[in-house]
Amino acid sequence: MSRRTTVRLGSFAAVAVALWFLPTLQGPIGFPIFYLLFGYTLLFWFAQASSWNMFTGYSGYFSFGQGAFFGVGVYTTGVLAAKRGWPLIAAIPVAGILAAALGLSLGFVVFRLRRLQGEIFALVTLAVAFVVAAIARVSSKIDGGSGIALNDVQLPDFLGTFPSMMFRLGLVIAVLTVFAAATIQHSRLGWGLFSINDDEAVAESLGVPTFRHKMMAFGMSAFFAGLSGAVHAIQISYITIEDVFSIRIPLFVIVMSVLGGMRHWMGPIVGATIIHTLTDRLNRASDLELFGGNVTVSLDHLNDIIIGLLLIVMVLAVKDGLWPRLVDRKWAAAGAFVVGILIARIWAPEMSPIGQFVAGELGAVAVLLPSSAVIDRWRSRGGPSETPDEPTSQPTVGATP
Amino acid sequence: MSLLQFDGIHKRFGGVAALGGVSGTLDEGEILGLVGPNGSGKSTLINILSGFAEPNEGRISFAGVDVTDTEAHHRFGAGIARTYQIPRPFSSMTVRHNVAVPLIFGKTKLHPSAATERAMHWLEFAGLASYADQPVSELNLHQLKYLELARALASEPRVLFLDEVLAGLNPTEIEESILMIRRIHDLGISLVIVEHVLRVVNALSTRIVALNQGLVIAEGAPTDVMADPEVVKAYLGSRWKHA
Repeated sequence: MSRRTTVRLGSFAAVAVALWFLPTLQGPIGFPIFYLLFGYTLLFWFAQASSWNMFTGYSGYFSFGQGAFFGVGVYTTGVLAAKRGWPLIAAIPVAGILAAALGLSLGFVVFRLRRLQGEIFALVTLAVAFVVAAIARVSSKIDGGSGIALNDVQLPDFLGTFPSMMFRLGLVIAVLTVFAAATIQHSRLGWGLFSINDDEAVAESLGVPTFRHKMMAFGMSAFFAGLSGAVHAIQISYITIEDVFSIRIPLFVIVMSVLGGMRHWMGPIVGATIIHTLTDRLNRASDLELFGGNVTVSLDHLNDIIIGLLLIVMVLAVKDGLWPRLVDRKWAAAGAFVVGILIARIWAPEMSPIGQFVAGELGAVAVLLPSSAVIDRWRSRGGPSETPDEPTSQPTVGATP
Repeated sequence: MSLLQFDGIHKRFGGVAALGGVSGTLDEGEILGLVGPNGSGKSTLINILSGFAEPNEGRISFAGVDVTDTEAHHRFGAGIARTYQIPRPFSSMTVRHNVAVPLIFGKTKLHPSAATERAMHWLEFAGLASYADQPVSELNLHQLKYLELARALASEPRVLFLDEVLAGLNPTEIEESILMIRRIHDLGISLVIVEHVLRVVNALSTRIVALNQGLVIAEGAPTDVMADPEVVKAYLGSRWKHA
C-alpha cells in the first residue's frame, strides 16, 4: 500500500468513527432526531451518486442501470429479510453481490460488442432496468405486483434506536463507497478508465486492458448501489415496483454527479449535498401565496422543475461541474457561503439551520457559476496579458554526433 | 528467425477484400517501408498486426509466439507498438500523463506515481519536456506526432509501426522527423514505416514492400522496388485518378 493510500484510509476511517458517535450526542446536545434521518438520506445519496460515478464518471460510459442495481438491492431486502425472515445485516451483503452479478453479466455481453458504445450502451442499460422491474412484477416470489411491507424485518438493535441505526448503516456504506471511488480514481484502474473515457481504442493499443477495467468498475458500481439499496428498503418501509424502479434514482445520481463534477470523487459528494439540501427545503417549504392569496404556488411541485433546469444549466455552462471551480476559488466560495448565511439570518431569523445552509450554499454556487474565462478577464482587467510567449516549436533532436 | 512473421492475411469489409492474402516478415533491426497507393491496404495491415482489427484468415507470430488471437493490449505489453496517422492524444490529460499511461500498462507496469516521473525521460527524448504539464491542446501537429512517438516508445517496444508520421508536416519538420526516426532505430527498435513521401521511405528503409489492392506486388531493396513496373503503374494510376 502506498503512503498516499494509507493516508486516505486513515482520514476516511477518522471521519467514519467521528460520525459514528454523532447519534450518541443527540441526547446530551439535544438536536432534533430529524437531523439523523436527514443525515441518513444525505449519506444514501452520497453512496448512490458515488457508486454511479465510479463507473460512468470515470469511464464515460453513460449508464442508466443505477435504477436496476438499486432495485435489486431494495428487493433483496424485501425478499430475504421481509419474506424469509433473514436479519437485515445478512441481507445487505447478498444484495451487493446480486447487484454486482447483474452488472457483471450485463457488462460481459455489452462490453464485448464494440458497436454498443455511446448512446446504445445508455439505452441497453435503461432497458435492463425495465426488464428487471418486469421480472420482479411478474414473479410472485419477488413482488408479484402487490408490494412488500417491511415492518417485521429483524433490524440490528445493537446499532441503537431506529434513526441512529439508519444513520450508522448509511454511514458505513457511504464511507465504503466513497473510499472505493477515491481509491479507484488514483489507482491503475482509474488511469485506465480515464484513458478509456478519452479514446478507448488508443487506450487498448497502449496496453490498457479495457474490457477487464470496464467490468471491474461496472461490477463495483453495481455492488455499492445494491448495498445502499438494501438499507434504503428499510427507509422506504413499503416497497412497490413503481416507486423502486422509477426514473428518480438514475435521474438524481446523474444530476448530482454532473453538478458536482464527474472526474473527481468529491464531485458527487458536492452535487448530492446541494441537491439533497435544496430539494429537502423545497419539499418542506410552505406554499407561496401570491397576489394577496389569490394564487397559491406549491414549492413542492417546483422541485422537479428546478432539478431539470439545474441539469440544463450545468450541461450548458458548467461542463466540468462545480468541484474543479470550488478548488480554484475556495476562498471566494467560502466568503459567499458566509454571506449567504448572514443574509438568511437577518432576513428570516427563524429559519432552520438547514435552511441557512442552503442559503449559504446558493451564495457559494453563485460565485462558482461564471466560467473561469470570465473570472480571468475580470482579474486581468486593465493589466497586461500575462500569457507567456508561445514557445517556438523546436523539439530538440538529440545530440548530433 | 524473424521477429515478426505473418502468413496469408485476409481481411474483408463486407464484400470488399481489403487484404487478399498478404504474407511477410520483419527481421530484428530492420526498417521496413510499406508503400502503396491509397486504399491498397497498408493501414489495414498495420491495424491487424497491432491487434487493432482481426484478420478473417491468416496467422501472425511475434518472437516465435503465435499472437493471432492475442488482444491488442497484450501485444503492446509484449513489445508491439504503433502510432496513428492522425494523432489521437488523451485530450483530457496533460502531456506528461499521456506518456504515463503506457508506462503504467505496458511492459514496464509502473505504479502511477513512478510512471509520471519516468514519463519525463521520454518527453525529453521527444523534445516535449517543456510541455510536460500542459494540456495536449497546447501542442501543434508536429508536437502531437512526437507525443505519439513518446507514448509508443514508453513501453520499450521491439517493433514500432509508424503510420504516416510525416503527413501534414512542413519540409523542416520532415527533416527533423527523419532524424527522430533514425534515433528511434538506434534504440534497437525494428520499424515498419507507412509513408506517402516516397523519397523518405527510400532514404530510410532497409527493405520495401509494395501493396496494391490488398496484395503484395513487389518486395526488396528500395531502388529495385521503386523501379518495378507494377509499382510505377500502381502509383501513376492512382495519381492519375486523384489528380
